Parts: sequence; C-alpha cells; structure tokens
Amino acid sequence: MKKVLALVLALCMVFALCACSVSTSAPKAEEETAAPTEITLWTYPIGGWGTQETVDALMAAFEADTGIKVTVEYLTYADGDDKVNTAIEGNAAPDLIMEGPERLVANWGAKGKMVNIADLFDDTDKKEINPAALAACFADDATAYEYPLVMTAHCMAINKTVFEAADAMQYIDEATHTWKSVEDFEKAIAAVYEHTGAQVGAVYCVGQGGDQGTRALVNNLCGGTFTNPEHTEYTWGSEENIAALKKLYDNPAIAFDSGIAGGDEIALFYNGTLNVAFCWNIAQQLNPNTANTGAAKTASGDDIMFLAFPADGAAKLQGGIWGFGIFDNGDAARIEAAKTFIKYFCDSAKTADAVKAANYFAVRDTAEGADLSTIWADNDIMAEYNVLMPLLGDYYQVTTGWAEARTAWWNMLQAVGASDGSVEAISAAVDQYVNQANGK
Amino acid sequence: MSTKKISISQKSRRLMIRETTTSYLFLLPFLIFFVMFVVYPMFMCVYTSFFDATMGREDIFIGFDNYKTLFNDEVFWVALKNTLIIVIVSVPVTCAFSLWVASAISKMHVAATSAFRCIFYLPVVTGSVAVTMVWKWMYNNYYGIFNYLGNKTGLLEQNINWLGDERYALGCIILILLTTSVGQPIVLYVSALDNVDKSLVEAAEVDGATELQAFWKIKWPQMMPTTLYILVITTINSFQCFALIQLLTLGGPNNSTMTIMYYIYYNAFKLYKYGYGNAMGVILAIIIAILSAVQFKMGQEK
Repeated sequence: MKKVLALVLALCMVFALCACSVSTSAPKAEEETAAPTEITLWTYPIGGWGTQETVDALMAAFEADTGIKVTVEYLTYADGDDKVNTAIEGNAAPDLIMEGPERLVANWGAKGKMVNIADLFDDTDKKEINPAALAACFADDATAYEYPLVMTAHCMAINKTVFEAADAMQYIDEATHTWKSVEDFEKAIAAVYEHTGAQVGAVYCVGQGGDQGTRALVNNLCGGTFTNPEHTEYTWGSEENIAALKKLYDNPAIAFDSGIAGGDEIALFYNGTLNVAFCWNIAQQLNPNTANTGAAKTASGDDIMFLAFPADGAAKLQGGIWGFGIFDNGDAARIEAAKTFIKYFCDSAKTADAVKAANYFAVRDTAEGADLSTIWADNDIMAEYNVLMPLLGDYYQVTTGWAEARTAWWNMLQAVGASDGSVEAISAAVDQYVNQANGK
Repeated sequence: MSTKKISISQKSRRLMIRETTTSYLFLLPFLIFFVMFVVYPMFMCVYTSFFDATMGREDIFIGFDNYKTLFNDEVFWVALKNTLIIVIVSVPVTCAFSLWVASAISKMHVAATSAFRCIFYLPVVTGSVAVTMVWKWMYNNYYGIFNYLGNKTGLLEQNINWLGDERYALGCIILILLTTSVGQPIVLYVSALDNVDKSLVEAAEVDGATELQAFWKIKWPQMMPTTLYILVITTINSFQCFALIQLLTLGGPNNSTMTIMYYIYYNAFKLYKYGYGNAMGVILAIIIAILSAVQFKMGQEK
C-alpha cells in the first residue's frame, strides 16, 4: 500500500512539473485572442519615467482617456539591455520601449525587431520636431523606429566657487556658458590646479558609464569627430583626436583614471574632490547631490556652473534623445494600441506632462497646437540650460557597431592613460581600438 | 525444492524492480531539473560553440572557427594568464593560511575557537557586493584608507590608483579574493583537526616526536581528504572569479584584471557573441576538469 501511495505521489510530482511547464504557454494563447486593451511598456530610467509614482499617474490618465491599460516594467542601464535581449530571444518583448535611437533604431530596429512607425509622423510633425532628433529616429527616409519625446545636451560642469577663488572665471563666457577658447580652458585648469594644489579633473574610463562626456571632451578640444557624417565609420583615430588626447595626457591637473566611471566622477565632483566634471547634464544640475543642499550646489554648498565643452569656435555637444518604439510582436491590435500610446504622449495636449515627467526638453515647440516652448518657464535652471540646446551636435550614436565602439573607446582611454604619453604610443592605442570599432 | 528456489528468486527480482522503479520515480522530479538546468545547458554550450550565434538571427554553423579565433585572440591569452596567476597565488595561500589559522585556533579554548571561526567566516556570509564595495572605498584613489595610511606613515609619496593602475590592480583583486576565500577552509580545517585521532598524537609525543613531526606524520595525512576538497573548491572558485571584476574593474585597466570568466560574460552578454563565449566556456571547463583530476590523483596517491 505504501508503495502504491509512493508511486502516486511521485507521479503527482512529475505531473505537477509538467503542469508547470505547460502553464506558461496556455495563457499566451489566450493573450493572442484577448482584446488589445492591455499593453506593456518597458522604460529605462529617463528622469521621472523611471519612477513608479510619476509613471503611474501618467498611465492612469492614459487609461482613463483611451481605455488601454499599460503594464510598466522599469529597467536599469546596468542590466536593461540583457533583459530586453533575453525577452526578444524568448518572443516575450514588451509592446513599447522607451529609450534612445542608439538602441531603438541602430540596434533593435536594425535587427528587424521593431515596427516601422513612419506613419505616425505627418508633415506637421516633421516640421515641428527638432531636425537632429527627427533624423536620429529614422533608419531611412521611409522607416522610423522611434518617436522622440525629449532631448538634452550633455555638457560639463565646474565648481564655480573654487574657480572664482582661483580667479579662473575670466576664461569663461558666463552668459553663454561656454569657454572662450581651448587655451582659456587650459589656463583656467592651470589656475585652479595652482590654487588648490590638487587634481582638477579626471578622464574616467573604468567602463562605458558616462562616456558621452569623455567623447565630447576629446572631440571638441581639437575639432575631431567621433564618426563620419554618414555614420558609416568611426573616425576617432584622426590626428585631431590624437592631439586632444595628448593635450589631456600632458595636463598635470587632469588624470586618466581607469578606476572610476562617469558616476564616480560626479560623486567626486559633488564632494569637492574634483573641481571639474565632464559627465554632466540638466538632471545633475537640478538634483546634484543627496546632501540636500539644493540645485546647482555641491555637497558643501559651492555653486555649480554647467558649461559647454572647451572648443575653438562653437562646441558640438553630444545629445541625448529619448522616445518610444514598438516591438513587432505580430499582434496588429496591440501595435495599434501602442501607436495610440505614442501619439497620446508625444503628440497631443498631454505631451507637456510626459515631457515634464522626463525632466528634459521637448523635441518640439508645439504638439497638436499645445505650446511646449514655455513648459519650463517657471524653472530658472531649466530655462537657463536652454542656452546649450543650439549647440547640439551630430547624433552619431546610431552608427553600426555602436556597442563595440563604446567598449573600444574606454579601452582606448585606458591604454592611452597607461602609455608613456608619446604621440606614437597614443596613436598606437587609438589605432588599435578604432580599428576594432570599425571591425577591421 | 528447486521449483521453490526459482519462485523465490523471481519474487525477489520483481520486488527489486519495483523498489528500483519507485526510487527512480522519486528521483525523477530532481532528475528533470538536473537535466533541464545542468545537462541541457552544458550540451548546448558545447553545441553552440560550433556556431556563429548571436541575437536576432539564425545561428550559422562555423565548425571550429570560434576555437581558432580564440587561440589567436590576445585578450583571451591575457585573461588566461591573469586567471592562472589568480589560481596559482590564491589556492596555495588560501590553503596554507587556513591551515595555519585553524591550527592556531584549534588549540584555544572552545569559546575562543568559535569566536575566531565566526570572525573568519563573516566575509563568507556577508553579501559579496557589500564586501566588494567596502574594498572599493578602501582602495579609492582619492580618499581610500590605504592611501590615507600610506601618506600618513610616509610609505607613499603620492596617492596610488590601486584599481586604476595595471601594476597593482590584479594584486588588489587577489587580496580581496583571499580575504573572502579563507572562511570556509578554516572551518573545515578546524573540524578536520578535531577529528584527528588524538591517541596517535599522544603516542607520538610519548615517543619523543616534535610538534612539527606529529603534525606532518600524523595530522596531515589524516586531513588529506579535507585538503583535497579545499584545493578543488578553491581552485574552481579562483577560476570562476567574476563578481569582483564586474564590480571593481570590468577587466581593466588595459585588460590587466581580465579573467576568463569575465571575458566569457563580456563576449556573450555585452557583445552578444554567444558562440564565441561558449567556446571559451568549453575551454575553461576542460582546464578546470584537468586540474581537478590532477588534484584528485595526487590526493589519492598521498
């Protein structure tokens, strides 16, 4: 009897397992036939779009207006890509995803995983949307994989209090938030170095975090570029970039630091260890530290000033563009619901709420007649930061092989930092990694 | 008589079959998990290593090309060298240090022995991320305690970028690995020392053996199975050093802390070269298997 019971028990356990394995596929069949009133959105931490409280309010309004329920999952930059890629491989990608063209257009779009949403852009939209943002969302004239919502310009920052004490503000055009010249940048750094006796800035390169800062710094110093205008080749092996790297290497106040990433550099800037941060944007300016000393302040209360990167002539800032794309899950009804979502948040009277939630700047001045140009009028810092937006440069993150190129970049910086600093050694390091980026 | 014998034998065989079947049925759920999550992935690892496998398209069969690429990949050789350095340094040091500490604390009062066991075991039970982050602060280039103490005592003229300088980074990683690896071996050695036949030790002492001779001739051979186990698990852990690299250096600076395990992760999950990553996994498994077999063989001989 005992054995019979044991046998039954064992069989139950086995069948329970089988039941587990089939239970995952059963609801899928139901989902396929269900009404498209439920869609999923995965979002990277783009300002308030990474915060449940903010997003819940937006989704509740959307559901009330359209009857479409949105289930949201929050990704991090540390493992978000892995999650999305795993989901794609497992045919479980979300309906909507919020991120930039480097992922939506150049990566998942190029691999045929996204829906072409070019039909969402009418002529008015094309006129209203910032040209650089619009171009970045299109893979070609007739194919768009992203609808942009917000953008910003990445920049650098200085500890203004320390710069004033070192008499280095004379090298800065405070009204335009720019350096007067590269030479003036070098003079200012030297003045602060002399005043404090400590390292002023760091070319951080332990990983890719915050690499937009080091890229913009190097590219602007001597007029180099990261890619060609067609976005078909990485050009950071040029003489201009090698000269810029040499300038940075030779500057005693700036160290190549293979021990920190962009986030660490910001922390060191907040706590006063460094007096220059190359990894900066409006998000940091608004909420610079956890010491609660207020916007545009370091932990000790010093004033922070945001600045364009040093360049002779107009600096070209690296842009950040974020919007929505739709994964092709083969369900026309859900794709249609996702398109409704995009139009609702990116091109309607509700767009202002979506932009404010992101804490960045709208990619357009008006959306379906709603004025977006004044949504930050009540915020002095946001209004002031607008001075940098015309400096937005080429959005080259859509170049093929972007993931490899980013990795090659910080590896190259490490190699330069570990070299003897001769032009030959820097050139060798740059050549090795730019070739890697170009797949040679 | 013979008919009865046959009948008993058949009954016994039937009973045996039933019991065996029942046993296997009880094992079945776990076997299914084992096959699904261990055997199948292992098979797929070997299988995929012969393909150009990446995200978003069908795998392309390329035979041994991944292996050929691997052996021409400079970073792979650097990673292999770094991994071997970690193993060669950390395994003997961990074993010797653990044995020394265990020998010292096993002679103490029971309460003191327990207290030391707890202290040395703490890093094992503490979250590895928390431990690593504390080490990261201690190594910090700008305000880390090592630089602070070095400057205060005059040992350092200027701050050292411990994790950002290729001369020191691997050593720093090994130091952390050692501190987090010794806990379990110490506990195992203390238990092994407790289990040594004390009458043999006493007899040797009566015969005039020194403490060292008693240890070497009596205790050490009896602790050999424990030593063998510690050697194998420490070797495997050292080969699989990953979290420290991921949290501290990402393989840098200049690949000076790149290990095979991290390079596998980097290729498979950052560059999405699944086939290439799996080829490295196969090589790593072969190396670990050979070393473990050698260790077992040596242990058995002793």
